Amino acid sequence: MERKAIIKQLQSIIAKEVKLENVELTEENTANDVKGWDSLSHIAIIAQIEETFSIKFKLRELAKLKKVGSIIDLIIKKQN
Amino acid sequence: MTNFNITIIDQLIQQFEQREKKAFCINDIYYTYYQLSQRVQAIRDLLQQNPPHQLEVGLVANDDLNTYASILALWIEGYAYVPLHPLQPLERCLDICKQVNCKTILDSSQASRYTDFKVITTSLLDNKTFRPQYNKGISEKNLTYILFTSGSTGKPKGVKISRRNIAAFAEAFDQTDLHLQSSDRCLQCFDLTFDVSVQSFLMPLLHGACIYTIPHDQIKFSYVAGLIEDHQITFGAMAPSMVRMLKPYFDELYSENFRACILTAEASPLELIQAWHQRCIPKATLYNYYGPTEATIYCTAYKIPTKNVKTHHGIIVIGKPFEGLDALIVDKNNQPIAQGKTGEMLVSGDQVTPGYWNNTTLDAEAFITLTLSGKNKRYYKTGDLCSKDTEGLIYYKGRKDTQVKINGYRIELGEIEHHARKFYTESNAVVLTQEKEGNIELYLFIEHAQEDPHPLIEFLRQTLPQYMIPTEVIYQKEFPLNNNGKTDKNKLKTLIK
Repeated sequence: MERKAIIKQLQSIIAKEVKLENVELTEENTANDVKGWDSLSHIAIIAQIEETFSIKFKLRELAKLKKVGSIIDLIIKKQN
Repeated sequence: MTNFNITIIDQLIQQFEQREKKAFCINDIYYTYYQLSQRVQAIRDLLQQNPPHQLEVGLVANDDLNTYASILALWIEGYAYVPLHPLQPLERCLDICKQVNCKTILDSSQASRYTDFKVITTSLLDNKTFRPQYNKGISEKNLTYILFTSGSTGKPKGVKISRRNIAAFAEAFDQTDLHLQSSDRCLQCFDLTFDVSVQSFLMPLLHGACIYTIPHDQIKFSYVAGLIEDHQITFGAMAPSMVRMLKPYFDELYSENFRACILTAEASPLELIQAWHQRCIPKATLYNYYGPTEATIYCTAYKIPTKNVKTHHGIIVIGKPFEGLDALIVDKNNQPIAQGKTGEMLVSGDQVTPGYWNNTTLDAEAFITLTLSGKNKRYYKTGDLCSKDTEGLIYYKGRKDTQVKINGYRIELGEIEHHARKFYTESNAVVLTQEKEGNIELYLFIEHAQEDPHPLIEFLRQTLPQYMIPTEVIYQKEFPLNNNGKTDKNKLKTLIK
């Protein structure tokens, strides 16, 4: 899956979880850049990403999923 | 008689003398007791030079050394802190400041959100060498902190905790089975706006141990797992909700160094806690501690045995009262009831708050003076339903307001939750009620992906009477948590249509 396609899906997942109409993301964005993306919604976002991409993150990986670019890296790694 | 100066301040000052000993690990940086003492003195000096107009001072609850040093400096100088959470809406924090009327705020942030206050930027102060002399004439009635908890009216209510309360707590804590040592590496995973945080930083400091905190921008349970393994945490208090979040990852977490774990802040389900113990921290002794904010952090303790754990509907017993604390179980007329019967628990002793901040209405509802054996005693009405067994162990049976009557039948919501958790052994279950057209309806929330609820309902029908079968089952993949790490029942309730 291409990075651009992944980022689009992430945008819709995150928008839904933080209850915003739409969210524009770049790979450099972190949780701090999106209103409502706090440690509580983060858990729901991760669960949603796992379901959408049929992957499972490891406990210690969760801490690294703060930056959009790193989330994409991990999704690609896990899908292969 | 307890004494804050002796139990708390003198102990802290003694620890400050251990210059090389580590006091904190914050965001992977270690700070020694010596460094801590220098920050404490810097803030003390400033408080002496520019005394705040009143004894209650706002404190922005950041995760850094200056914030913890601020608490200690305020206490040594006789002031109380009113924690203001940096991630909570400014409006709520301003409401708290307004209620307390505090004009001075200690803030370690570079840019403060509090523009209309006298803000002391603690991070800008130069280090000072600690001076052990302090004013020993401060009243035990002076406050140490005011914590605001959500009130049923929607306006937060402030619980005042005095120097006497904290000293009594610390002494009673040390008399429980759990003995902290200076070699301990201790977890502090609670926000400073929640009182278990006070146990989590204060008790290790009094024993010269090292405290590991959680940065606000981290995912708590994942970060905690990292601390437990990488820093070989030996002691920590945790909420069962956090353990439940770790549960899908139990296979990825293992430590033989964790020696003592307190479960607190919520009811502790036996199955979850036993799995946590056996799979992740097998060498630890586990404890179940209970306490409302109004009785200073904890007021009962139970050392969880490896076998024959006492439970009620799968919830671990909360044990026996702390030393110096009297726990009484009463009926609706506040009369003590027979052993084994369920009623509201009242608590009395030096740990009980002098009352709510500026709220005599609430004080009149929550505190009561009873004459027992010819003596007057002031009790706090916990609102928790409990019973005592023949050994004096106290069983927690839910909140007074969660016990509902439907068609004249008294229903304990915990009983429905218990059976739902038997069906969904991996998931949490919460029952909430809502009145609809004069009837009280039961809503069962399951922390699970959406699915057909009929097998669950059929299962419940096998053990519960018809009037206890929920009107609706609502599936929610992840339960929302509030800032205290507990399941946010208010948020869940908004899902009822």
